[in-house]
Formats: sequence, structure tokens, C-alpha cells
Amino acid sequence: MARLIEELRKLPGIGTKSAQRLAFHILRSNPEDAEALASAVREVKARLQLCSICNNITDVDPCLYCASPTRNQRLVCVVEEPTNIATVEKTRGYNGVYHVLHGTLSPLHGVGPEHLRTSTLLDRVTRGDIDEVILATSPTVEGEATAHYLADMLRSGGARISRIATGVPAGSDIEYADEVTMTRALEGRREM
Amino acid sequence: MIAHQAEALVLRTWPVQEADQIVSLFTRDQGKLKGMAKSAARSRRRFGGALEPMTHVVAHYVEKPRQELVRLDSCEILSSPLSQPVDYRRAAALAFYAEVLEETLPDHDPQDSVFRLALTVLEHTRTDSIWLPVTYFALWMIRLMGWMPDIERCTLCGRPFGNESAWFLAGSDGLVCGDHSHPASRALSPQSLAIAGRFFRTPIAGLVSEDWPPNRAADLRRFAFQSLERHLERKLRSTQALKA
Repeated sequence: MARLIEELRKLPGIGTKSAQRLAFHILRSNPEDAEALASAVREVKARLQLCSICNNITDVDPCLYCASPTRNQRLVCVVEEPTNIATVEKTRGYNGVYHVLHGTLSPLHGVGPEHLRTSTLLDRVTRGDIDEVILATSPTVEGEATAHYLADMLRSGGARISRIATGVPAGSDIEYADEVTMTRALEGRREM
Repeated sequence: MIAHQAEALVLRTWPVQEADQIVSLFTRDQGKLKGMAKSAARSRRRFGGALEPMTHVVAHYVEKPRQELVRLDSCEILSSPLSQPVDYRRAAALAFYAEVLEETLPDHDPQDSVFRLALTVLEHTRTDSIWLPVTYFALWMIRLMGWMPDIERCTLCGRPFGNESAWFLAGSDGLVCGDHSHPASRALSPQSLAIAGRFFRTPIAGLVSEDWPPNRAADLRRFAFQSLERHLERKLRSTQALKA
């Protein structure tokens, strides 16, 4: 029991009390449920891998997006984490493919350019396989630094490099927009 | 419960639960403190981009008796590092300021001179000019913390450095002359010693018109980084990005 609590405690957002609660829940659950959980954990580690082209988490290589004949393979959206793909996909307006960096440049956490997964993206751009790279990192200090670094790195490859727009979120009130957001919204205005 | 409104610099955030964040703030009036920002990751209305490191804000928070963390209600941005372009070097400089302030300052100890220093260097930290503000900040922090050795004379024999290099060692205090240097010591050139002297006499605005390539006063920066790390008894992560 102590070992299970200790292992659960390693999960993000789980403290000792939560780990104890989860461990007792598993203890009380029927053997099938406990086995299903254990087998799901085993399988996720055994079967899932990173796509050799875009670094997305996948059970087949290349991943669904990179292998799709209906997607525009010459348009690449660069995101920080695999979970960001779902956010872009929710728009139903993007038909290109992705490249996952698995992080951003973070001097405070010791993450430098050498830690980002950029080699396959650079290869594709250098080979002329890509027309446009959309940099969809977060508009934070670390996300901006990463976008800036990627733009400098990819510029010589000949592909168009673009950055996602930033500004006032849809459905929000301009009254509550902060100075930086409003400045960017004004800078990124478009003609109607 | 006491409600406060204070000018502050955001130093760091740590995610807690699904959308909450613990925020480390360096306030002008109350020094460094930590607060809980509920739903900060979701609420654009109360925090927006105000919790990015080294954002200058007016923080509204509530202090409760016998609670270490204050309750951070909202932040209004006075100036944001995101108002200017951010590249890796500038991000590294901002991370360096935040890390040094976080590690050197004790909690609840107002340090107005350090606050003013931080605001001044932030103003001059641009993508094409980080080396002057980073070096200026590092050296002044050593001085304001009371860790600055004599930069004119040998710590051991008192001989003035004059036109000779001073020498420093990662594991020991002070600057020494060539006669007292250790084989592992590093040199601090007379030019860099002169720059250090100018830093302590001249506001940064009086130095920005000069050209500051990465190799100018690189030895002085190394000395400053080593001094900070020696007194903090730990390696500063952000300096790795500034050394590379």
C-alpha cells in the first residue's frame, strides 16, 4: 500500500492525501477494474511512441496527421505540446499538419535550444517540403522566445514563417483587456 | 484580513491544482511575498498576461493572520516584458533578474534600492542589448547585498591594482593581485575593473549610448555570476543561457 501511495504521489497535482485516497479507492474496487487500470498504464507505455516526422504522441508511425492524404502536408503548425493539437483541431478550420516541440525555451528551467525537438522540422524546411510554418507557441515570454528562435532558425529554408495572431479573446469584454493584449490587438487589426 | 494594493514585480509562478497558481511577488512596500492566485490560468479578466516573469504590476492582495500565502485578487499591468519583442537572449536576461531576486531577497523585507535597480535594468533590456543591463544588474546586486569586495586593492596585501589585472577564484572571497593569485584563478582585466567603477558612479542611462557586444566586460560578468552563486551556495540556472 505504501508503495502504491508513493507511486501515485509522483503524479502531477497529486499530494500525499490525494494519493492515499486514490490508493484506498483502488484497494476497494473490484479486481477487474484494478487490472484494467494497470493494463491501461502498461499499454500506454508499451504502445505509444512519438511520430518520427512531427513528434506527436501516436500508436502508429507516422501519426494520423502525417499519414493523411487529405491534409496539406506543406503547411505545418508548430505547437509546444501534443495537447495543443486538440485545441487547434477544435477550430475545424485547419487542414495542415503539425510539429510538436515538447516544451519551450526556458532559461529558468535550464531548457535551451538544444533541448527542443526541432531537427525533423528543420530537415523538412531545408528540403523544401514545406511552404509555410505557423508558429503557434503561447504568447508568453517563453513562447515568444521560442517562436523568435524558430523563426531565425527556419528563415533561410525559404518557407513562409508566420506567427498566430494575439489579441482580445472572442466573447470577452474589451474593458478587461490588459495593456499588452490591447496593444497587440490594435497592432494586429485587419481591414473590414 | 488586511487588503493591500502594492507596486510589484512578478518573479515566478508555480501551477497548483488545475488552474491555480502560486505567485512570487517582489513588492516595493513589503518586499518579497508569495500569494495564491485562484483560477489564474483561466481568468484572463483578473490577471491577463500580468503573471509573466518581470511584469511590473499593481497587485491587489489580501493578507490573513497566521497564513503565509496572501490571496492575490488581481494585477494591473504597469509595464510588461511582452511589450517588446522577446528572443532567447532577452528571455534569459529576464529569467536571470527573476532568479537572482527570488534567491537573494528575504521574504517581507522591503528593498527599495533593489526595486529601483530592477525597474531600471528592465527598461534597458532589449533584444539587441542585454549585456550591459545584465552585467550592471549582477554587479549592483552584489553591492546592494553587501557582497562586493574592494575593486581597487588586493584583498590580501592591499596593493592597488592600478593598470594590472585583478584575480578571482570561484571558491574564495575578494579580488587579489597577481602575486597572491591561485593557478585556478581567473583574471579581471584593468578595463573591466574600470567599467565596474563606472557602473557604481554612473546611472545605466549614461552608459547605453556605448556599444556593448557580448565579449565586452565578459570577465566582469563571470566574476559577478560566480560571486552571486558563491554567496547563494547554488548554481543559477539562468546564467547557463547567458554563458552559452
